[in-house]
Amino acid sequence: MPVIFGAAQSVTERLWRPAADIYQTRDGWIIKYAVAGVKPEDMKIAIKGSAITVSGFRRDWKLEEGCTYYAMEISYNRFERTIELPCLLDGAEVRMEARDGILIVRLKCRGVNP
Amino acid sequence: MSNSEEEKLQTLPLLPIKNSVLFPTLLMPINAGRPASIAAIEAALATEEKELVVFAQRDASIDEPQAGDLYTIGTKAVVKKMARGRGGIEAVLLGVERVVLIKVEQDGTYQRARVRPLPIIEEKSTEIEALHREVIDLATRAVELTQPQAAAGMAQLIASAKEPLRLVYMLAPMFSLELEKEQALLEAATVTDTLRLMHAYLSHELQVLELRSKIASEAQTEMSKEQRDYLLRQQLKAIQKELGGENPEQNELTLLRERVEKADLPEDVRKEVERELGRLERLPPAAPDYNVGRTYLDLVLELPWKTATEDVLDIGRARTVLDEDHYDLREIKDRILEHLGVLKLNPTAKSPILCFVGPPGVGKTSLGQSIARALGRKFERLSLGGLHDEAELRGHRRTYIGAMPGRIIQAIRRAGVNNPVLMLDEVDKIGHDFRGDPAAALLEILDPEQNRTFRDNYIDLPFDLSKIFFITTANTLDTIARPLLDRMELLRLSGYSEEEKVEIAKRYLIPRQIKEAGLQPDHVTLESEALKAIVSLYTREAGVRQLERTIGRVTRKIAVLHAEGKKDPVTVTRDNLAEWLGPRRFSTDQARKQLPAGVATGLAWTETGGDVLYIEATLLPSGRGLTLTGQLGEVMQESARAAQSYIWSHAEELGIDRSLFRRYGVHIHVPAGATPKDGPSAGVTMATALASIYSRFPARVDTAMTGEITLTGLVLPIGGVKEKVLAARRMGMKRVILPRDNEKDLSELPDTVAKEMEFIFADKIEDVLTAAIPQLGKHFSTLEQAAS
Repeated sequence: MPVIFGAAQSVTERLWRPAADIYQTRDGWIIKYAVAGVKPEDMKIAIKGSAITVSGFRRDWKLEEGCTYYAMEISYNRFERTIELPCLLDGAEVRMEARDGILIVRLKCRGVNP
Repeated sequence: MSNSEEEKLQTLPLLPIKNSVLFPTLLMPINAGRPASIAAIEAALATEEKELVVFAQRDASIDEPQAGDLYTIGTKAVVKKMARGRGGIEAVLLGVERVVLIKVEQDGTYQRARVRPLPIIEEKSTEIEALHREVIDLATRAVELTQPQAAAGMAQLIASAKEPLRLVYMLAPMFSLELEKEQALLEAATVTDTLRLMHAYLSHELQVLELRSKIASEAQTEMSKEQRDYLLRQQLKAIQKELGGENPEQNELTLLRERVEKADLPEDVRKEVERELGRLERLPPAAPDYNVGRTYLDLVLELPWKTATEDVLDIGRARTVLDEDHYDLREIKDRILEHLGVLKLNPTAKSPILCFVGPPGVGKTSLGQSIARALGRKFERLSLGGLHDEAELRGHRRTYIGAMPGRIIQAIRRAGVNNPVLMLDEVDKIGHDFRGDPAAALLEILDPEQNRTFRDNYIDLPFDLSKIFFITTANTLDTIARPLLDRMELLRLSGYSEEEKVEIAKRYLIPRQIKEAGLQPDHVTLESEALKAIVSLYTREAGVRQLERTIGRVTRKIAVLHAEGKKDPVTVTRDNLAEWLGPRRFSTDQARKQLPAGVATGLAWTETGGDVLYIEATLLPSGRGLTLTGQLGEVMQESARAAQSYIWSHAEELGIDRSLFRRYGVHIHVPAGATPKDGPSAGVTMATALASIYSRFPARVDTAMTGEITLTGLVLPIGGVKEKVLAARRMGMKRVILPRDNEKDLSELPDTVAKEMEFIFADKIEDVLTAAIPQLGKHFSTLEQAAS
């Protein structure tokens, strides 16, 4: 059976990849994502096994009538970032916080950290 | 179209690009300069998503492409980065997905395209896996050939592409494929198709690359080999200089030039030699032509262009020399002495071209040697037996590898003079095949009018052969081409008679064999009677080879006795001959004691001498016609028929009962049945045999006969009289019937033989029959009496 699958589709999900910092805490992990300009409602988190995936959409907006781009370095459109952690995350407690263009994700693992 | 698909329809700014295709998942830097392109990018930048669609132009030369100028399958892309500069926009696009163009609409200065995503159909199959691996392999090899420095990194990159489709998209720009090929890759319906296409492109690309690198490396090795050779040669020169020697090639050329200057050459030859030498001096010694030229010059300088021996023109001395070496052969010796006489009076006389014809072992070759000795000339011989290539005689042209001059020129070089006695042995045994006929080349060589300027293919200069004394030898004339025969003066050496053989043995063979065996002349005595017995009972040949070998057996046995210490002189007599040679091998008494009616004695000529043969005829009751057996040739069969017709038509005169012809057939047989026979000379014998069987009177047993007959009963002359008569005598015949015209040939016979035998010369068949069948003779005489 031919499967319609998307090499292209998968690309549409991660047109860019936000940078991330990962901290280890006594009872889990803290991950910072550089997602400036992304509205919190445009982001979502998914956890599967030991992987945590943050995906979303950065929309540009018009700053002023009559202005045009002279140069552009910020990536817009869809983004996605999957991070593999050295412990199982199923059932972990997840807290999200957006502050100054940074998305902070706190994870509390019940599993044993290596 | 379903709703969900309807939803996927999008309208986006259209960016036409030239000469390349943007593949999904790949980044592509572009430089937009056309106002429409700039406007399209700006329109995309003004949106939240920064999306546009990219389509490749079919023709790069069109500046404002319309919908028809674009490929219908393109790529949706996102502008990742951009910057303005030099009147345009530089941007980096990221391919997102494949789309198909549905409609183009103008929007101010730029166009917008309505597109539908065209996801690729992928089956997971082993073929895909195989193709995937194969493409990785090909690409790695191709990268190794194009960018050997970056090969390791590139190979890693290639191997890292886990998805086949991504691999193909990644490889396409790497090998800078043509636009059509890239577009075909983008348009392929399934992953398998994409991989197949890429595989084909890569295979082709790899072949081209491999060929390129092969050419490049070959050119390089060739260059380095030449450089190496040159270096080595320079080193060699330096070493030679250091050792005090001169440059050997230069030395060789100097020597060659000295030789050229000293050589006594005809003017045209000198010119050619100078030219060749000049060419040689300009050639590097390693050139293949150098050796060819050098060997050629060597040969030309060695040839005796003007060297000749002085002829010894002393006729008395020449006669002594010839007689020393050969017994009898008066005719040939006289011919040689004649030539000497002519040369004495006219030194520029042309040399004769002789042809000795005769059975083996009669001394043809050794006669040539003694002619050379008598004339004081050098002797060279070459055998033409089995020669089948014209180039053997005339040489190969110098352009061939391993070319050599022909045998004639080689013989002259060996002789070292331009007037040797040149013996061409076995001229009757020249072969010929598709490579040409050497006999035809001989035509030129043996023609005194042409051979003055004989051109060997190798020498390629005219050489004068006219001073050479040519002698050819042959066993038979039948196989020699007519024109060739025409150029030669024929001298026949017929077989020797018993007396001659005994004489030859005494004078030449015995002394020679005694010397061979290491004995002294007084150690051995061979009595004449013993020699005669050896000749007649132990050998049967026209020549004397077998005789010499048989004498050699005797002398060797005596040598053994001497070696064992029994030094007494040995006398070989007829009686003790068997002790030395064993029982006799032939019997003189092969002649039949008595002939029944229907048998006649014929004489035949063979290459080894004469022979006696009996022709047998018998009547076949209730048979019909004429049966002929005994391997008879066509001429002989016709001759038998002529004999039969003659007898039938003259039955009356011969006293033959005509009814016999109706009642009986007749069979003629000529033994020995295994030997092929031909020729007309048995005509009279067959007529005699027929006359005998029809008349019932036997033919005389001591009478042999030979002669051709005609239908009207004439007897025509035949050849080989001497051999035939000698054979008849050997077989104990007393009378020989010969055609009248052959009477003159009897002078060839030794006197003893001529005296001993009775010869009857016949003009007509009646003469033969009268002489051969006594009772018929009586019948004829009564007829004649009755007539008178």
